[in-house]
Parts: sequence; structure tokens; C-alpha cells
Amino acid sequence: MTEDYITMNRSDNVLIIGAGLAGMKAGLLLAHAGKKVYLVESLPLIGGKVIKNEESFPNLECSTCMVAPVQQDVLQNPNIETLTHSAVEKIEGEAGNFRAVIKKSARYVSMTDCIGCGMCFDPCPVSLKNAWEEDLGERKAIYVPCAGALPNVPVIDPDQCLQLNGQQECSACADSCMFGAIKLDDKDETIEVDIGAVIISTGAETFDASKLPELGYGKYPGVYTPFEFERLFASNGPTLGELTIRDSEKTPGKIAIIHCVGRQQVGYCSSVCCMYSLKFAHFIKSKLPDAEIFNIHSDICLPDKNYQKFFNKVKESDTTLIYSPSPEESKVSQNGSGLKVVYTGADGKEQHVEADMVILSGAVIPHPEGSSVATIAGLNLDSYGFFEAGKDDIGSVHTSREGVFVAGSAEGPKDIQSSVIQAESAAGQVMICLGEVNR
Amino acid sequence: MKAKVGVYVCECGPNIASKVDLDRILETLPALDEYREIELVVKKYGLLCSADGKNYLEEEIKSNGFTHLVLGACSPRDHNKTFIGVCKKTDLNPYLYKIINIREHCAWIIPDKEKATEKAISYLRGGINRVLYQSSLFEKQLDIDPDVVVIGGGIAGIETALSLAGEKRNIYLIEKSGKIGGKSSRFSSLLPRQGKGLALIEEKIEKVSANPFIKVFLESSLESIIGFLGNFEIVVKSKNGNTDIKAGAIVVASGYGLIDPLSSESHSYSESDDVYTSLEIEEMLKEHGKIMTKSGKEPASVALVHCVGREEKGYCSRICCNYMIKIARYLKDQSDAIKVTEFHKGLCMPDKGDQSFHKAMAERGVEFRRIQKITQDGTKISFTGMDGSPGNADFDMVILAPAIVPSEDTDSLAELLEIPVSETGFFQEMHQTTDPVATSIDGIFVVGAAHSPKGITDSIFFAQAAAGRILTHLIPGEKIVPEVKVTEVLEAFCTGCQNCLDVCVYGAISYDESKGVSVVNEVVCRGCGNCFGSCPSGALRTKHFTNPQLYQEVREAIR
Ligand SMILES: Cc1cc2nc3c(=O)[nH]c(=O)nc-3n(C[C@H](O)[C@H](O)[C@H](O)COP(=O)(O)OP(=O)(O)OC[C@H]3O[C@@H](n4cnc5c(N)ncnc54)[C@H](O)[C@@H]3O)c2cc1C
Ligand SMILES: Cc1cc2nc3c(=O)[nH]c(=O)nc-3n(C[C@H](O)[C@H](O)[C@H](O)COP(=O)(O)OP(=O)(O)OC[C@H]3O[C@@H](n4cnc5c(N)ncnc54)[C@H](O)[C@@H]3O)c2cc1C
Ligand code: SF4
Ligand code: SF4
Ligand code: SF4
Ligand code: SF4
Repeated sequence: MTEDYITMNRSDNVLIIGAGLAGMKAGLLLAHAGKKVYLVESLPLIGGKVIKNEESFPNLECSTCMVAPVQQDVLQNPNIETLTHSAVEKIEGEAGNFRAVIKKSARYVSMTDCIGCGMCFDPCPVSLKNAWEEDLGERKAIYVPCAGALPNVPVIDPDQCLQLNGQQECSACADSCMFGAIKLDDKDETIEVDIGAVIISTGAETFDASKLPELGYGKYPGVYTPFEFERLFASNGPTLGELTIRDSEKTPGKIAIIHCVGRQQVGYCSSVCCMYSLKFAHFIKSKLPDAEIFNIHSDICLPDKNYQKFFNKVKESDTTLIYSPSPEESKVSQNGSGLKVVYTGADGKEQHVEADMVILSGAVIPHPEGSSVATIAGLNLDSYGFFEAGKDDIGSVHTSREGVFVAGSAEGPKDIQSSVIQAESAAGQVMICLGEVNR
Repeated sequence: MKAKVGVYVCECGPNIASKVDLDRILETLPALDEYREIELVVKKYGLLCSADGKNYLEEEIKSNGFTHLVLGACSPRDHNKTFIGVCKKTDLNPYLYKIINIREHCAWIIPDKEKATEKAISYLRGGINRVLYQSSLFEKQLDIDPDVVVIGGGIAGIETALSLAGEKRNIYLIEKSGKIGGKSSRFSSLLPRQGKGLALIEEKIEKVSANPFIKVFLESSLESIIGFLGNFEIVVKSKNGNTDIKAGAIVVASGYGLIDPLSSESHSYSESDDVYTSLEIEEMLKEHGKIMTKSGKEPASVALVHCVGREEKGYCSRICCNYMIKIARYLKDQSDAIKVTEFHKGLCMPDKGDQSFHKAMAERGVEFRRIQKITQDGTKISFTGMDGSPGNADFDMVILAPAIVPSEDTDSLAELLEIPVSETGFFQEMHQTTDPVATSIDGIFVVGAAHSPKGITDSIFFAQAAAGRILTHLIPGEKIVPEVKVTEVLEAFCTGCQNCLDVCVYGAISYDESKGVSVVNEVVCRGCGNCFGSCPSGALRTKHFTNPQLYQEVREAIR
């Protein structure tokens, strides 16, 4: 801590880390109340995990249609400064009077000059796997993560760009941009901002299925993680929504969806996997009406008034439910040109189904960057690795540090509804934290 | 005054310019016959949305003194707000401007330049014609009352009140019963991870009584309500008379009830059987400190039956699995010798701490039996296992987890507040996923178990979410700006059929008996246009989307 800012006035600004639905919703509320919001997102686009899904349960609403207006509102809100491709490096001070250091990584494309036409992609000679598309598709060294990304401004990957990594001279993208938007000499920038409160909304990830080698992830091309499947199904995804097995043109005839993968390892039920697994069954049936689908499950967790209706519908017309006391202990193996899933049946004996495609419904786990964010922000994590909230209280978005709040799946696995609720709750608590003026 | 319309087409770099012949537009439009009566200025510009472009446009509007403005550019999603901002810097009312999308609708989808240009011209003609029929609209500012009425004094209502009450905001908490606390205050204790006994609840109840800005009305109910966001007028009925309250927002926290187990075909028992609902057990333990059979003995074996009435209701009640494990713990704490069996249909444990609690109780000897089907007759239970094998057993005591249902007043409250109820019987939220705490009426929120079955933790989150909405939107001393593109009733045409009343989900329309016409409350109306389409006599007009405006645009575009 340095002396000079301790004596400064309390700040009314708010720092939000993570621009998923939770971060965006909280930001919009606070901006509406006239607070200046710094919304920091590590990826080049905002929207979080929900925009990876074509449709969201339980109403199977188009996710983009649901999220895009929120993204637009955020980007056009004069009180919100959205800092994509950025990272918070330091948070010092105390509630009402923090100072944060934010590093804005060079994007190499001007946010003000670029109009998002995409003319710069084709000329780029470098192609590689697109991590945002779960490596199922390709991108160039200059790219937007997916069609429809917001902000619709590309970014250059400095490790891959021939000019920037020094492999050879290249300015193909810059030459093709009619707007002079590409700045190959762009530099990282560090800014310091005064803030009164912080909201952590860094979201979550899914269980690394390769930790359970018997499930064959990484070994068999037909085995998918949940987000791989979301992208495979998405009409703006790498196959434009065509359900073909990785590295082949083959359409799967039989699909096994294995629930609860990693549940025993992480020690909790993730509350969304049953629902997204049922959603997957429904997705597949809608595109491949002749497909045979099996949901191998243990408990079925349907924690909302509208969820069982969806379950009933999927059970009725889309899938065969198979009960196994321990689906995550199933074994996936090669079986001719397809796969075989061996699981423990209701009677405790081994059973099996044949499948061309296996989807591993992995547990929701803390975001891998969570612990470094916790260190930077001086926060405790709970025993599972999520941000600890409300230690001696119930129903609290207060973290272990006063003036710092948590919302959404950064606090634990949850569906969109609960993430939005926590975001609105955090916004309210920030209003209270920033002063009595409003009450 | 002669109309002077500015038409500016944007090159969007090569995006539009290379696919649409802008010069041809510049030549064609001014030469058209139908624009003889008006003055038309048609120009092109490189990039209108750039900083230079915006300055240029602002100067052009000011120096030319345009009465209307049409832009041929990109999607309104991208830059409508940008150009509205430019208009606002000039004397031109932003509702006299229109953006026509000649990029996505023409340049980017039509390979043939000539055809793309023709389409762009048609669209622009439509646009020019439309703006001539548009009218200036002006934003209104309304004073608000920051106070809040909370209906229901359970944990959800309490938390809402505590989050909101302050020097500049009074809270009126209306509770039907003789004390606040709701169901939770009837329990013996909360879940272990929620602290000891009921401490957390009791603390909050005390805070309410200590807070000078919260006024509690016990044994009271909502009598009537009129008004809208920022300006509701409410009458509260209490034993000793009615009270008039003005408030800016209303939070409904009327809680839940339990289904009568006997309404389910699978369950039967009589008064004399040792069969209890979960809530009865909580109350028994709280009152007597022990769980006992009717004959005053400690039960040697207890069956805990989950999901009672679930099939009938059509949803999982979310919290029962959790609290049934808590009840198993009560029994084990009372005596480890009690044999406890939980019959469940798949455990629903959606919160982080649930599974470890379950595991701990399994380790203490509670038997968890997953079953497909169950019937219960008194203390006799028959069931079908997951592998299809039948089984039956007799217990000293049976404890049932009845489905959580909406509180009995839900329908009558919904009617008074004019908010919808979902097919599950709980209040219907504005949007299942993205707007769960709001209702279709701006300024009315639903929290706690009144929204759907939920535990205390989630009830508190919902309460704080409603508080978050109110704290950021109803700021003491500040005004609100309602939507201006709203619907108006042309009284002369309205036949009083009241079709429109049914279609307005926002409750903006009422019927004026004395005049025999419908009336739209302009502050509540969101301009969705639902009613506009439902009126058989053309008596409704949605501002900025009037029939003449739409007709003129389309007519000219397809000419
Ligand atoms: C496979 C799957 C399918 C699902 N389908 C549905 C569904 O259909 N319906 C439903 O209701 N729910 C669904 N869910 C749950 C839903 O995804 C979550 O509720 C939701 O994404 C939570 O939003 P969030 O904003 O908390 O987190 P996220 O969406 O994860 O957003 C967090 C954001 O923070 C950013 N971030 C992370 N770390 C940092 C950092 N250090 N600095 C800056 N930014 C950072 C991330 O890049 C991301 O943009 C699904 C979950 C899974 C796993
Ligand atoms: C057996 C059992 C055990 C439980 N154990 C736990 C636990 O350990 N931990 C946990 O987190 N959750 C537990 N729960 C869930 C918990 O009870 C609810 O989460 C909580 O009560 C919801 O609070 P609420 O304020 O929404 O509703 P309620 O507690 O139902 O309160 C609603 C209040 O509104 C009042 N009201 C109703 N209608 C009107 C009206 N028309 N006008 C004015 N007032 C009205 C009622 O009198 C009541 O005071 C348990 C539930 C049961 C059934
Ligand atoms: S950088 Fe240039 S070429 Fe690339 S999308 Fe932006 S405007 Fe188009
Ligand atoms: S300069 Fe880099 S990003 Fe641009 S085209 Fe060349 S390799 Fe691709
Ligand atoms: S919470 Fe458990 S007991 Fe209650 S309905 Fe759901 S699955 Fe059944
Ligand atoms: S336009 Fe929509 S909100 Fe307005 S009165 Fe008509 S139906 Fe209601």
C-alpha cells in the first residue's frame, strides 16, 4: 500500500472481473444507478459460457438471442468500460477505497476503427486449432473466437502471428484492412483505476475427463466433453451444427451420455449436469430422429419448478434412461468401428451398451484461474476451490474481504437463473457497501 | 414548413461502397418525382460511425436545419444508438430520424451490384417516406417514491426488508400471521452448515424489530393496490383498520405450503398412525425436544419417505432431500440405535455442501434406498427397487416429505397484483433464466419460496436480488424515465370490446366504465404492440409504429 491514496475520497466506481452473464447483469444494474463500471474479461469476447450453447434449458431458448441483447447493452452503456483481453493484476486498499491495476493485452486491432467485416482473416497464412471452439475448428492468427462474437473486433495471437513472433515479415492482414484498423505495433497497456467495490464473476469450467482414463477421453475420437458437444451442435460452431464424429464424416447412430463424471472426485453434485445431459439427448434427437440415445445416470437432480417437465418430455420421446449407481465408473472401449460402454447396472452386475459417440457429462469445477484471482484479490477459496462466500452467514455474496463480492458460478455450480440472481444480489450489496446515500 | 430531409449513405469502407453503387443512389433519389414537394439533400460519407463521421453528421444536421434524417448504413443493432446520440446533440428530435440497413440487407447478401443498389434505393425510399410520417416524441421524467411494501414476513420478506431499509427508504412489511419468521422459525434447527439451531433466523428477526425504518403490520393483508413502478398506492387491512401506503415497489414473499400427503394415491394413514409430515417432526422436536411415537416411546425404526406428491405436482421440490437428511441426523443424534431408512427416487442435492452431509449421514448408518415406486399404508411400506425387485417393511414411525406447493394466498394475491401464476401454481417470473425475480409488472418482484421451492439460502439470494433491482432503479430523489414509444387509445374508435385487456401482459390497459373505452397507462405500457394487433376497430396506436408509418414505408419500398 502506498500512502497517497489512503487519504483519498471514497470511490464510487466498481470493478467486475469476468463478463459472463453474471458479470454483465451486475454491471448493467450498477451502471443504471450511475456507477462507473470497469468490466474486465480475460477473453477477447464477452458473454461467458452461455454463448457456447445453441439453446439453454429448460425452455430451449436460443442462447444468443437471450444473451446478445445483454452484450449489446453492456457494450453501448456509457457507464460501463468493458476491458476485454485484459487481466486484473493487483487490488490494493480497502472497501470504498481500492486501487486496481489492470493489464490490457495488446489486441493489435483498434476497437474504434475496426468495423468487424472479417476481411483480414483469409489473407492470414497461419491456421491453427481454435481453443474457444474446444479445438474442433480452426482459426487464423488474427481471429474472432466465433461468428457473432461481441465485441465484433478480431484479435491477433502474438505467439502465432508470423510478424509478431518474428518468424517472418508479414502484414497480410493489415494490408487487407480497408480501415487501417490493424496495428501490428500495438503494445500491452497497464491502467490503474480507483474503485469502491469489486465483484468476482469469473465463472467455472468443467471436469477434465482425461483424469478418468477408463472413460477413453482423448483416446477415442468419439468421446466428447460437454462443451465440445455444445460447440459441435451449435449452428455457428465448427461443423455449422452438423453432428459428425470428430475427424470423420460419420453421423453417430447410437449415443451414450454418461452423467456425474467426476462427481465423486470433486465431492459435490453440480446441479446442472442432469439438465444439460437431458438437453443433449433432446438436441441429438431433434437433428437425428433415428438415433438411439442412452442417458446413463445415477441420481437425477432437477432443482427447479420447471425442470421435471423437461425431464418428462425428454424421457418420453428422446432417450432411454439407464440407472447405474456409479455411472462415472463406466468403461469405454473400442468395439469394431464404434465404442462400447460398460457400466454397473441396477442389480450391481456389469451391463453394456454400444455407441458411436459418448458424451461425458463432467462436473462443474472452479475456473483454473480462480486461485490466482483469489491471491490477487486477497480472498479465501472454499474447500472445493470456489470463492468462499458468507462464511458465518447463509445466503451471502460477501467474500472473505470486505467490499469484494462474488456472483454466479464462481461461487459454485449453478444454472443461469441462480447466476443471474446472485449477480443482482451482488449489485445490491455493492450499492449498500458504497454508501448509505441510497437507503 | 417544407420538409427538408437529409439522406446520408455510409460507405462503411468498402463494405457498402464496393457492393452498392452509392453514386447512383445520389443521382436517383433527388430526381424522383414523388420528392418534388420536399427538399432532399443526399450525400455519402466514408464511415459515419467514426468520431469524424459523427461530428460531420452533427454539423450537417445543424447547418442544413433538417426536419428529418435518414441514414443508409449498417444494422440498427450496431449503431442506432450512436446516431440517436448524434441527433440529441442537435435540435432534431431523434424520433424524426431513421436508419436503413443497406449493409446486412443489401451489400452483404446480394452479389450482383446492380440488384443490391436497386434494393438499397427501394429501402431508402421506404425510409424517406416513413420519416415524413414520424412525429417527435419527448421523454418524460417522473418522481418516485423510494419506499417498498413487502408482502410476507418469512425469511425472504425479512431479508428484503433488511437489505432495503434506511434513512431514505421506509419498508412496510405485511405479515398475515401474528409474528414474523415464517416457516423457518417453526423448525428445530437449520441445516448443520447453516449454523447452530435457528440463530441465524432469530438474529434477523431481532434486526427487523430494531430497525426504525421497517414498519411491521402483523395479522394484516393487502387490501388493494393501484399504480405503477415508483408510484403505487396500497391499502393494508389490519385488525384495527386500514392503512394507506405509498410505495415505489412491491416485493411478494408469501412463501409456500405443503401438499396433503393423503391427496396422493400412494399414501394412506389415519390419525392414530405414527405417520408425520416433515414439518410436524420439526415442530415436535422444537416443542418436546424429542422425536417420539404417539405412545410416548422412542421409535426403533424410522422410514423417511421422499418425493411425496411429486408425480402429482410435476416438479421436484428441491429442498426435501436436504432437510430429510437433516431429520435423519436429528434421529441419529437422539439415539444412534434408531434404524433410519430413507426411501428416495434419486437424491437432488444441488448445493455444494449437500453431498458431504449426505455422505456423513450414510457413514453414521442411515440407509439410503433408491427406489422406483413406493406405497405407504400407515407405517407399512412396499416398494420396487431399481432392479425391479419388490420389497416391503414395517416401521415404528414414518416421516413424509410432502411436495412444496405455493402458499394458499397465491391466487388471490396474483389477482390483486395482476401478475401471472405459472402452471406449477407458483408466481410466474418475467423470464425463467435471465429475469427470475421480476414479474410482468414493473416494480413488482417475487422472492423466496413464493417463486418456487427453495431453501433459506436461495430465498435470501432472491430477496437480495429484488433489493439489488430496487436499490439501483428507485434511487431516492432521482426520477425515472418511462418508455416513450407507447400505445394510445383513440377513444372515438374504441368500441369497448376489451380484447386488448387480455393481451397486455404488462397490465397497462384498464377499462373506463363511465366512458366505455379502454385506457392505456402510458407509464406502464412498454410499447410491445400486442394490443395494437388485437384491436378489431383500429382504436389503438403504438407511437412510432403507427399504421400510416408502417404502410408508407412498405408501400414505397415495394413500389
Ligand atoms: C455444458 C454446460 C451446459 C449448460 N447449459 C445450461 C443451460 O442450458 N441452461 C442453464 O440455465 N444453465 C446452463 N449451464 C450453466 C451455465 O453455463 C452457467 O450458469 C453460467 O455460465 C454461469 O454464468 P457466469 O457468468 O457465472 O460464468 P461464465 O459463463 O463462466 O462466465 C465467466 C466469465 O469470466 C471470465 N473469466 C474467468 N476468469 C477470469 C479472469 N481471471 N479475469 C477476467 N475474466 C475472467 C470467463 O472468460 C467468462 O467470460 C450449463 C453449464 C454447462 C457446463
Ligand atoms: C420440514 C422443512 C425443513 C426445512 N429445513 C430447512 C433448512 O434446514 N434449511 C433451509 O435452508 N431450508 C429449509 N427448509 C425450507 C425453508 O422453510 C424455506 O426456504 C423458507 O421458509 C422460505 O422462506 P419464505 O420467506 O420464502 O417463505 P415462508 O417461510 O413460507 O414465509 C412466508 C410468510 O408469508 C406469510 N404470508 C403468506 N401469505 C401471506 C399474505 N397473503 N399476506 C401476508 N403474509 C403472508 C406467511 O405467514 C409467512 O410468514 C425446510 C422446509 C421444510 C418444509
Ligand atoms: S481489422 Fe479491418 S479487416 Fe479485420 S475485421 Fe476489422 S475492419 Fe475488417
Ligand atoms: S501479420 Fe500476423 S495476423 Fe496478420 S496476416 Fe500476417 S501472420 Fe496473420
Ligand atoms: S428434493 Fe428430493 S425429495 Fe424433494 S422432490 Fe426432489 S428428489 Fe424428491
Ligand atoms: S403496447 Fe404492449 S404494453 Fe402497451 S398497452 Fe399494448 S399490450 Fe400493453
